[in-house]
Amino acid sequence: MAMSTEDLKAAILDKALKSPKAQLYIKDFYACDPDSSPRAIKNAANEMVREGKLTFWSSGSTTMYAAKGRAKNEEGDQGVN
Amino acid sequence: MPKHATPLLDQLESGPWPSFVSDMKRQAEKKPEVWDILGQLELSYHDRITHWKHGGIVGVFGYGGGIVGRYSDVPKQFPGVEHFHTIRVNQPSSKYYSTENLRAICNLWEKWGSGMTNMHGSTGDIILLGTKTENLEPFFWDLTHELGQDLGGSGSNLRSPACCLGQSRCEWACYDTQEACHQLTVKYQDELHRPAFPYKFKFKFSGCPNDCVAAIARSDFAVIGTWKDDIRIDQAAVKEYIAGNYPSNGGAHSGRDWGKFDIKKEVIDLCPTQCMWMEGGELKIDNSECTRCMHCINVMPRALRPGKEMGATVCMGAKAPILEGAQFATLIIPFVKVTKENEFQDLVDLIEKAWDWWMEVGKNRERIGEAMQRVGLPAFLEIMDVKPMPQHVREPRSNPYVFWKEEEVEGGWERDIKEFRRRHAM
Amino acid sequence: MGYDPKNPMEGRITDLGPQYYGKHLPPIIANNKGKWLYHEILQPGVLVHVSETGDECYTVRAATCRLISIELIREICDIADKHCGGFLRFTTRNNVEFMVDSKDKVQPLIDDLKSRGNKFPIGGTGAGVTNIVHTQGWVHCHTPATDASGPVKCVMDELFEHFTSMKMPAQVRIALACCLNMCGAVHASDIAILGVHRKPPMVDDERIGPVCEIPLAIAACPTGAIKPSKAVVDGKEVKTVVVNNPRCMFCGNCYTMCPAMPLSDPEGDGIAILVGGKVSNSKSAPKFSKLVIPFLPNTPPRWPETVAAVKNIVETYAKDAKKYERIGEWAERIGWEKFFEKCDIPFTDKSIDDYRLAYDTWRTTTQFKYTKATAQYTE
Repeated sequence: MAMSTEDLKAAILDKALKSPKAQLYIKDFYACDPDSSPRAIKNAANEMVREGKLTFWSSGSTTMYAAKGRAKNEEGDQGVN
Repeated sequence: MPKHATPLLDQLESGPWPSFVSDMKRQAEKKPEVWDILGQLELSYHDRITHWKHGGIVGVFGYGGGIVGRYSDVPKQFPGVEHFHTIRVNQPSSKYYSTENLRAICNLWEKWGSGMTNMHGSTGDIILLGTKTENLEPFFWDLTHELGQDLGGSGSNLRSPACCLGQSRCEWACYDTQEACHQLTVKYQDELHRPAFPYKFKFKFSGCPNDCVAAIARSDFAVIGTWKDDIRIDQAAVKEYIAGNYPSNGGAHSGRDWGKFDIKKEVIDLCPTQCMWMEGGELKIDNSECTRCMHCINVMPRALRPGKEMGATVCMGAKAPILEGAQFATLIIPFVKVTKENEFQDLVDLIEKAWDWWMEVGKNRERIGEAMQRVGLPAFLEIMDVKPMPQHVREPRSNPYVFWKEEEVEGGWERDIKEFRRRHAM
Repeated sequence: MGYDPKNPMEGRITDLGPQYYGKHLPPIIANNKGKWLYHEILQPGVLVHVSETGDECYTVRAATCRLISIELIREICDIADKHCGGFLRFTTRNNVEFMVDSKDKVQPLIDDLKSRGNKFPIGGTGAGVTNIVHTQGWVHCHTPATDASGPVKCVMDELFEHFTSMKMPAQVRIALACCLNMCGAVHASDIAILGVHRKPPMVDDERIGPVCEIPLAIAACPTGAIKPSKAVVDGKEVKTVVVNNPRCMFCGNCYTMCPAMPLSDPEGDGIAILVGGKVSNSKSAPKFSKLVIPFLPNTPPRWPETVAAVKNIVETYAKDAKKYERIGEWAERIGWEKFFEKCDIPFTDKSIDDYRLAYDTWRTTTQFKYTKATAQYTE
C-alpha cells in the first residue's frame, strides 16, 4: 500500500532534514516509501517546494532537493525559492 | 564613454564577420552594466581563464528549471555583473517571430536584464544573459502576464523541445514538426518546469532524414520524418536536370564549375543501396531496396519527392560525450504515424513508457541512452514492448555471450547434481 | 499592476508553455504550409521556395553572432517591419532569415542589409561554410576551457569568403564547444573546435566542506579518481577529497558538482580539433567527429593557431574532395592516414582511443529496409 500524500511528504521532509547529505537526488527519496511510484514521489517533492519546505539546487545540468536553508551554495545566496 | 579599457577585445572589432564586441559597446551606451561584461571579458582575455562562478539555488518560485545561476568572481571590479543569471525563455516552434513579440521581449529585457541575449541557446531556447536575483520574480511576472510566455527547461527536467522548420517552408517534411513540438511541449509543462528525472531529457523533431535539428545526435527522443511508399518521380523534371535546365542540388553548388550535371555520377552511383538506374530515358527506383537517405531527393528536388505515406522513425538515447562517450540515437521504432488527429498519441505512449522505466531504474545523472547501454538493447526493447528485428542493429553480435533466461531453456535450470554424479564420476 | 513582492503568489501564472508558433508565421508561410513543391538557392544566402498554389517565398539569410544585444534585435525588427510585414525567423545555426513574398522585394532587402556595415553578411547556404554554432565561453560560462565568441569571430573572419560563396564540395558545418561538456554538442560536426582542460582539479581543503557535498564530488568522477580524504585546516581536521591525478580525464564533472575543485588554467587549457562528423543521413550514416589535433594553446585575442588549423583543413578538403562529399566521407574514402598526410597534421597517440567503447553494433541511423519484421508498423 502506498502512503498517503501527507505521510509521504512527512517522510520526505524527515529524510531531507536528517540525512547527512544536505542535497538529495529525487532517487534518494524513493526509499521513503517503496510502494509509491517514482512519479508520485517526484510530485510530492515538487509540491513541497511550492509549500516552501524544500528548495531546488541546480548545477545547471542536474537538479537536487534540499530542506529549506540546507542547500550549499558558494555565494550564500539563498535565492527566492 | 567606455568604463574600462579593452585593448584585447578591441582587436575583435576588425574583419568582415560581425563583431560581438562592437555590438556590446553599442548596447553599453544604453545599458551601462554591459561595460562591466566587456571589462570582465577583457580580464579573461588577459588572464586566459574564466571569471564566472556557478550559483545553484536561484530560480523563480516553484520552478526547478529555466534559470541558471551565475556570479562574477571579481565583483568589486565589475559590480554591474556581480549577479549575472541566465534566463531561458521557451522559443516558439522553429523560431519564427513576429517583430511585435520580439520587441516586447527586448523591452522586458531592457527593463529587468543586461540587454544581452543569445538567439538562441544550443537546445533552442531564447537565452537572456545576465540579471540579478531580485529581478527574477518581477521578470517572470511580466513574461507570463504581459507576454503570455514561459521559461524553458534546465537541470533534471524535460528540456525545451525543438524542431526544424518542417512543412512551414520545406517540401521534404514528412510530418508537421512544429505542431508535434508545440503540442508535446504544452502537454509536458510540469516535466519541463519541475525536475522529474534522473537527468536531462530532450525531444527533437526533424521532418526528414536530413535531420536539420540534429535530433539523432542530440536528443534522448528523436522523431525523424520518413515514408513507407515509393519516392515520387516527375520524369519530365528528371529530363530537365539531365539537360542542365534545372540546377542540381537546388543550386547549392553553383559557385564552382563542377562540369555538366551527370545523373549517373551524381545520383545513381552515389545511392548507398544502388537501387536506381536509367531505363528508356526514365529514372527507375527499386523502392524496396531504398533506405530513404535523401541524397537523390536533395540533388533533384524538382524531380523527386518523398512518398505520400509519411510518418517518422523514432530513435532514442543520443547524448554528448559526458560521461560514457558520445552516443547517437538508436533506432527503436522504424515507422510511426505522427498526427495531431490523435494528439500524437503514438509518440506519447512511447515517451511515457520510456519515462516510467527510466524514472525507476535510471541512476543519478544517467541519461536514458546510458541506461539503455547498461541494461542492453534487448532488455530495453522488451521494456518498450518492441519486438527485436534486424533493423535494430547494424550487424548481429559477434560474441556468443547471450544472457539466456531460464524460461527460454528446455527443462529450466534446476538440476540434480547427485543424479549427475551417478553417471559422471569425479 | 505587476509583481508584488508582498504577495508573490497572488495572481501567479505558471505553465503557459511557448507561444503558439502559428501567431508568428508570415502570411506567405502560413498560407502555404504543407504545400511547398521545391526550392532553389538563387545566389549565396538567397532562397526561393515555390508552392503548389503558385506562391513564391524568397528568403534572405544573414549571419548573426548568437551573442547579440537587444539593440541589434531591434534593428533586425526594423528591417523585418520595413521589408517583411513584421515577421522573421532564426535558424538553428544562429542565422536570421528575412522572408518576402515576391521577387521584386528581394533586392531592396539585400541593399538594406548591405547598407548596415558588416552587421548582416548574407550567405550561409548550400555548399559553403555556414555560421558556427557555439557555446558561451568566457562571456558567461563557469567551466570553459576557452572562449567561444572570440575564436568564432576569428575563424569566420578568415573563412568569410566561404560563407558568402558556394564553392565547397558539400556543406561544411563548424561548431565550437568551450569544454568537454559540449553544450554545443559538437560531436557530429564537419569540424569541431573543442575547449579542453589538461590539468587535474585543485582541491580547496578550506572551502570544500562549506560549499560542497563531498559524496557528490566523488560520485561525479567518471573514472573513480576522486577519493575521500582528510586535511588539517587551522589546526582542525576536516573532511576533503584527494585526486588520483593519472586517472583524471579532465572532464570537469567534479567542478560542476563542487566549486572547490577548480581545474581551469591559462597554460593547461586550450583547443582540440575534431573533424569528419555529420548529422544528416544523406548517403552515409551520421558520424562522430574524430580527434585530429589534440591541443592548440589559448592565444587571445585572435587565436592564430586555431584559425590556421581550421582554414588548412577546409582548404585541403575543398581542393581534394569530390562533389557532394562531406569532410568525413572524404576522409573515409581517402583513408584517415591520407587525411593526416594531405592536411600535414602530425598524428599522435592522442588520436588513438583509449577510453571506453561500447554499443558499436546498434543501428544508429534511420536507414533500414522494410521487411516482414516491420510489417507490424507499416500495415
